[in-house]
Amino acid sequence: MSRKELAERVDVNPQTIGYLERGDYAPSVELALKLAGVFKAPVEALFSLKPFAPLGRTLKELRG
Amino acid sequence: MYVRSKRYPLGKTFRPGTLRALFVLLYVLYPAGCILQIVPAPDNLERPLAVVGLLLVAASLLIFALLAGTSLQRQSQEQPSRLDERELAERNRATYVAYVILAGSVMLGLVYMMIAKDLEAGRGIHLWLPKTSDHWNGLFWGFVLVSLTLPGAVMAWRSRAPEGETNE
Repeated sequence: MSRKELAERVDVNPQTIGYLERGDYAPSVELALKLAGVFKAPVEALFSLKPFAPLGRTLKELRG
Repeated sequence: MYVRSKRYPLGKTFRPGTLRALFVLLYVLYPAGCILQIVPAPDNLERPLAVVGLLLVAASLLIFALLAGTSLQRQSQEQPSRLDERELAERNRATYVAYVILAGSVMLGLVYMMIAKDLEAGRGIHLWLPKTSDHWNGLFWGFVLVSLTLPGAVMAWRSRAPEGETNE
């Protein structure tokens, strides 16, 4: 999925997706819930105080 | 002031370095042009200096026109309902910083004018003060230019280069 497609699905500027990817912006709970909905992932997967592990591993752990 | 184009509905994006250079040029060329037009000069230099001053002011307005179509200017001037939460949060922070800078500058300007007026009346020391309508025009339009662009300039200084997201 491209940044533009994701941005359209969660109703933000495509640049904001870039900011989120780089960790330059922390999303609000509302935006985080929208993003989690798009990826069918729990919202906890989007927040962390430590650097993220690869997304595939995180999802595998969360889904048991 | 923001100019929306059909080709770039979210505004043109430039590297932060380019934007910073444009803002610096805007804030240097406009006052330089105004100063060249109002400084007393020898008779043979008065007209050439005024023309050069006018060209500098025109160049600063061209830069302003270029900035008016950028995504930063859109972010600082667009209706809130058309911005997302990150853009709004950045704009609110930048507007606060711009307000502090602008209010501080106006305050310093007023203090300078008060002191200059007192020195002129009390000790006969003549510091420059705006007197003619040209002087006030220059100050007024300079204030308009700065107040319209300062939040964008603050954001340009705070933003990092977004890879692969510029129109340059």
